[in-house]
Amino acid sequence: MTAAPHARPLRTWSVFDGVRRRPNEYEAVTGHFHYHFGREPAPFDLDPDSAINRWYLRYREGSPLRGVDWEGFRDPSQLNYRRYIALQHDREIYAEGVVDHFEALDADTDLNPAWVGILGRLYLPARYALHVLQITSLYVGQLGPSAYVTNAAFFQAADELRALQWIAYRAKSLSLTHGHDLADSTVARRFWEDDPVWQPARETLERLLLAYDWGEAFVALNLVVKPALDALFKTGLADLAQANGDGLTAQLLRDSGVDSARSQAWSTNLARHATASRPGNAAVLAAWERTWRPLAERAVDGLSTVFGDAPKAVDPADVVAAVGASSAALRASWAGEPHTA
Amino acid sequence: MPKLARSDWYDLARDTNWSFRYVSEQDVFPEELSGTGRVPSEGWLAWDEPYKITYREYVHNQVTKDTTTYSVKNAFARSTLFEKLDPGWKSVILAHYGAITMPEYLASIGEARMGRFGRAAAWRNTATFGTLDEVRHGQIQAFFPYGLIGKEPRADWALKAFHTNDWIVLAVRQLFDDMFVANDALSIALQLTFTLETGFTNLQFLGMAADAIKVGDLEFGSLISSIQTDEARHAQQGEPTIKVLADNGQKDWGQFLIDHMFWRSWRVFALLTGLSMDYYTPLEHRTMSFKEFIEDWVIKQFSDQFRDFGLEHPWYWDEFVSELTWYHHAIHLGVWNWRPTVWWNPDAGVSPEERVWLEEKYPGWNRTFGRYWDVIGDNIRGGKVEATLPETLPMVCNLCQLPIVRAAGVQAGALASAAPLRHTHEGRNYLFCSEPCKWIFTQRPERFAGHLSLVDRFLAGAITPPDLGGVLAYMGLSPAEQGQDATGYAWAYGGTANGSGARAGRR
Repeated sequence: MTAAPHARPLRTWSVFDGVRRRPNEYEAVTGHFHYHFGREPAPFDLDPDSAINRWYLRYREGSPLRGVDWEGFRDPSQLNYRRYIALQHDREIYAEGVVDHFEALDADTDLNPAWVGILGRLYLPARYALHVLQITSLYVGQLGPSAYVTNAAFFQAADELRALQWIAYRAKSLSLTHGHDLADSTVARRFWEDDPVWQPARETLERLLLAYDWGEAFVALNLVVKPALDALFKTGLADLAQANGDGLTAQLLRDSGVDSARSQAWSTNLARHATASRPGNAAVLAAWERTWRPLAERAVDGLSTVFGDAPKAVDPADVVAAVGASSAALRASWAGEPHTA
Repeated sequence: MPKLARSDWYDLARDTNWSFRYVSEQDVFPEELSGTGRVPSEGWLAWDEPYKITYREYVHNQVTKDTTTYSVKNAFARSTLFEKLDPGWKSVILAHYGAITMPEYLASIGEARMGRFGRAAAWRNTATFGTLDEVRHGQIQAFFPYGLIGKEPRADWALKAFHTNDWIVLAVRQLFDDMFVANDALSIALQLTFTLETGFTNLQFLGMAADAIKVGDLEFGSLISSIQTDEARHAQQGEPTIKVLADNGQKDWGQFLIDHMFWRSWRVFALLTGLSMDYYTPLEHRTMSFKEFIEDWVIKQFSDQFRDFGLEHPWYWDEFVSELTWYHHAIHLGVWNWRPTVWWNPDAGVSPEERVWLEEKYPGWNRTFGRYWDVIGDNIRGGKVEATLPETLPMVCNLCQLPIVRAAGVQAGALASAAPLRHTHEGRNYLFCSEPCKWIFTQRPERFAGHLSLVDRFLAGAITPPDLGGVLAYMGLSPAEQGQDATGYAWAYGGTANGSGARAGRR
């Protein structure tokens, strides 16, 4: 690249050549940071045929999701680091206030032991599921074709760790009233590894780790698997907790649902952006969605059975239907009707 | 506040390791991205981060740090402090932003590599925070120079640099791709977090922060000291990784990776920090010489850490220690000579007072390097500036990508021969500046062999026209961006570094 001599003071980065509007802070610290995407002969300055160059050429540059100006994509929340941190600082103050409130009431003491059993089986082992969502989001981020994609995925990974840590917190606090097993990692792991209700979810999430094409990883994680699990936990289980007198679990899950809504906002935006840039991408996205939807549905089917065992139970079929409706609405928001069939 | 302390529940947030049933562990952690296959999976369960932080603590701490640092920036922007900075110091920060901003951001990809392909949940969680940290460092070190581009157009290089083929960028990019962007999780932990961040960035960030405050650059000082607090935390991923390797009989592999990257870190610090500390920072504000800094921070402190883990000094230790007396002085001469090819104004830093300081800190400096500057000074005073400018490209090393300056090593009495080291791999000839650079290449030639150095590209006809003008265009340097002597040659006329005389007049 050759720069012209600067006759006048620069208004913005010279790399942003041609932009009409002065970029905002989010854009100034995000735009064109992935100078390595599409570089010849390889993204990185080692041997072009070295292992990681080959990986990126195959799974990022070589993704069937292509032909898109990835620099043109924007996260609707326009998050750069300092805005993300400020936002989540406030949210954590809120969450701490929620916990304070229920701890002051000693609310766990009043929980029905049968309900605590549901938490031990469904809520506490969800740490494993969230961890997979966390690290898969880090994968999507490191393979992202522009920093606009990468950073949104990185912040999402941190959000998963946030949700995971509140579950860890609850595991310990519940154990103080309802028995040590709740804070025993081997017990949670046994549910995750051996409980039949968890196995479809575990299989889906283990397979998600092998979705190495970045586009497929993005679709599988952000448009299919995560939204289904988020609907199940952050809406379905939150409502179930409320019905069973566990306001704290309900509120923590709903608060985490705010992070999930933010994920869905940028993810659907990205899908629409990819399709608008190259109509052929609609079929690419739809094919991945069709591959992953049954896996997500099986995960939800398995986990939903536990809802029927709660003291104040919900019919698992209703849970499945609610998650299905939520997934269909999400799908319609990025794919439109032709691809939802 | 919630009643439970971090230690009550922290382990429950990092216990998410399990045995895969539906996929193979090998497929989840492919060796080329994970690098952890030498140790069985049970061995990784002992991975224990020394510095523990929760998400809540993280966002609360970081929001405070950001508020403080951005307030300083805002105050600085409203002042005329930048305009009053010493020209050599301006070169320090322009060089820093162009060479370091993008690698800091790229390090988020390296951290995310560990966050996905690290073999223990505790490690992956720690790297998740590291990922956020490096997004912060990339963005904050872009946003600060972004605020300067109206006053100093070359602050633009904070983003532009990595979009170009400037020779400094080629060297820095190839290094950091090797270290963490195109590297596996295990090697990143040892090479980025242990070797570079633990071993060297204290030097860059604490040392330079101290210098910055002294020269009155409160913005830069506040920025990099804030960054260092994050580095100090996430740098600790190296230690537990080495421990796992050592406990599982794989210490030699750890030693190899550290030997590889210690040398490369030294090379890039000599280039960036060596020049800044010994030539660009105003004399009256220098804390220590670059050599003293390295001796204190790297040789003493980092060596202790080697020993704590049962590791040895790299095999080339004597060569490294010997280079402290001459290598960066030779590189400085090169950078100054090729000044149109860099995006900052190299400060010769050889006024009479500065030469006294250099001779004191580096006995023999006048004999080895001063005599070149004598000739350059004569040419300047004789009106023959063109004789001090480059006409061709220097030979560069096929590993570190920096000019081969062995002749200076011979004159300093450190090397026996000025000839570059040679190696032939699959019919192609490669040149190296030093035994360690050659060793790094020959240990894993498949990692480096297909890369073309600037000279390789020139010879292959990628640079047209094949003259200095073509080279400058290839490097992305417009005439207005090309470096000039920082003080307008005041040093050649006896100008001093303390703000008086011709130097002050050049601001």
